Amino acid sequence: MSGNILEITGLTTRVSGYTILDDLYFSVEENELRVLLGPNGAGKTTLIDMISGRYKPTSGKILFENRDITGMAPHRIFKRGICRKFQVPNMYETLSVFDNVMISLAGHRLVVQSLFHKHTTADQDRVVEILEFIGLVEKAGFPADALSHGERQWLEMGMLIAADPKLLLLDEPTTGMTEADKQKTAELIQRIAERHTVLLVEHDMHVVRRLGNFVTVLHQGGILAEGLLADVVANEEVRQVYLGQGKFSGA
Amino acid sequence: MTTASAELGRARFTLRREPMFPLWSIFGVAAVVAILATYPLYGTEYVMNLLGMFVCFSIFALSISLIWGFAGILSLGQAIYFGMGAYFIALSLKLSYAAENPTRYGGTIPDYMEWNGLTEVPAIMAPLMHIEVAIVCLLFFPTLLAFIFGVITFKRHIYGVYCAVITLAEALILQEFIIEYQAYTGGFNGITDYETYNNMYFLWVILAVAVLLFGTSRLLTHSRIGTVLKSVRDNDVRAEFNGYEVANYRIFVFCFASMMAAIAGGLYAAWMGIVSHLDTGPILSIEGVIWAAVGGRATVIGPFIGTFLVKGAEFFLSQQLAWAWQLVMGLLFIFVVKFMPEGIMGTIGKSIAMGRQRRAYAESQDAYQSGPMAVVARLRAAFTDGNRGFMDNLLGRSGRRD
Repeated sequence: MSGNILEITGLTTRVSGYTILDDLYFSVEENELRVLLGPNGAGKTTLIDMISGRYKPTSGKILFENRDITGMAPHRIFKRGICRKFQVPNMYETLSVFDNVMISLAGHRLVVQSLFHKHTTADQDRVVEILEFIGLVEKAGFPADALSHGERQWLEMGMLIAADPKLLLLDEPTTGMTEADKQKTAELIQRIAERHTVLLVEHDMHVVRRLGNFVTVLHQGGILAEGLLADVVANEEVRQVYLGQGKFSGA
Repeated sequence: MTTASAELGRARFTLRREPMFPLWSIFGVAAVVAILATYPLYGTEYVMNLLGMFVCFSIFALSISLIWGFAGILSLGQAIYFGMGAYFIALSLKLSYAAENPTRYGGTIPDYMEWNGLTEVPAIMAPLMHIEVAIVCLLFFPTLLAFIFGVITFKRHIYGVYCAVITLAEALILQEFIIEYQAYTGGFNGITDYETYNNMYFLWVILAVAVLLFGTSRLLTHSRIGTVLKSVRDNDVRAEFNGYEVANYRIFVFCFASMMAAIAGGLYAAWMGIVSHLDTGPILSIEGVIWAAVGGRATVIGPFIGTFLVKGAEFFLSQQLAWAWQLVMGLLFIFVVKFMPEGIMGTIGKSIAMGRQRRAYAESQDAYQSGPMAVVARLRAAFTDGNRGFMDNLLGRSGRRD
């Protein structure tokens, strides 16, 4: 196989009669920043759910680094090196910002390890580094629920970086942000992508234009188009289903 | 990212973390323990009885606090484990008491067994006569039951309300079981009339165990595993996707708390001299939940304060204010739930921590924006921190132009 870190073949998901993903073939190369586009209900989040192990697919195979991870439990998939961000910021609300990141640091996941683990200065430095990176170092001692929406999104990204995964799945990290915060987030993602493989679901075309190099457009559970952003945007079909060029404009 | 920026981070922000055992808390605990331990020397026996009982109940409430407040598992059947511990010890004491004090009819088996037509102690119970065996059983079997329960429920992602209902049902089943098999358990009347350990020395034993378990709990909840448990409580989905096998953590804390409840039950049986089906049932379980909630379920000291306050008020008010004490208790609960949802200690602790954090934040902002060290830090960062513009660092701007 080529340098594909993620290889999905024939992935199908049906939920009570509805086909969410329909015989999907999809792959991501190592060290790539791939943007996943698609209108509501196209199956973007479902795809992320399948890869990260939240739900099991009806059929099909998901290979990560050429190893089958289809239908594995989330914590096992995490161990292989995949970490996801949720659409709605998802963190440990009452823990401090510092602890949120600390708990996400790579390694030490077993009960026995947690029981006897002592935090080293190196761990602490790493957490401070990450907090610097996401710009929350001054708020390290605050509980996560005292943060603003944008800050919460960044904190969750910081938690992902702390886990140092091989593949990051970012599900609409700019949802509900102001324009300014969106730009900050885009910058963050850009810097994360320098070191990690990133699969990003994004709606906001400004952010996509800034980040997107290679994009995949999902539509009704299948891939509609894939390629360089400029090409995809120019694609007539994509324009029709997604970019708001009215279907009946020619009529 | 450079190490310099990490250093800068440390300079700008020093993490305020409470020590594991703050000095004032050590002195506080020592003072309280000293008062309780010497009470029998100058106090009445009646109050001494109550104190020993309250401490046992406090340990029980602490076990509820551990699973509910710290790990988010609401069990309405924690008294199962308390009761199991109590029955092991009561049975053991009763068996050895009966062996030495023949009944009216000359038997050397517990009186209730005789009434129910048994002629000798069932073989399976006989070893319990030795208190050592009973203690080992007390430590082992409740933990085993908790483990089995944990594997069945938590591994299948059953928790929250469902878990509460299942544990409640469990408590009812055990209660029925005890009443039904009265030849072995003493049935509705329970086990009584055995040699009790109701003196100052045993009060010291109870206190020592309480302090030990208190310390262990504090250690547990304020180390890495405590943070993981809290994260599981806050957001188990996130924890799962963060690589933690949530079920294992739940099983661990559930087993630990159950063992603790069993120990409390054992002490209680030896102290009180009577154990009945009520000590395993849902009422005691829910009372325990209330004690933990009033004191502060996500604190280690809270359950002790909650138990002493609620239980103490119960005894005091039922004497002084016989006509209205239940009304007063009800108002107390409403007050706590309404105005202190985190419990007494939880609310106090939270406001202290938040104030400290706000001050630290304000200080760090001041120190960063003025003062000689800030200039040095900025200069150094200006040359070393490549992530931001030189001038941004120098002027302390965020550097992100929006």
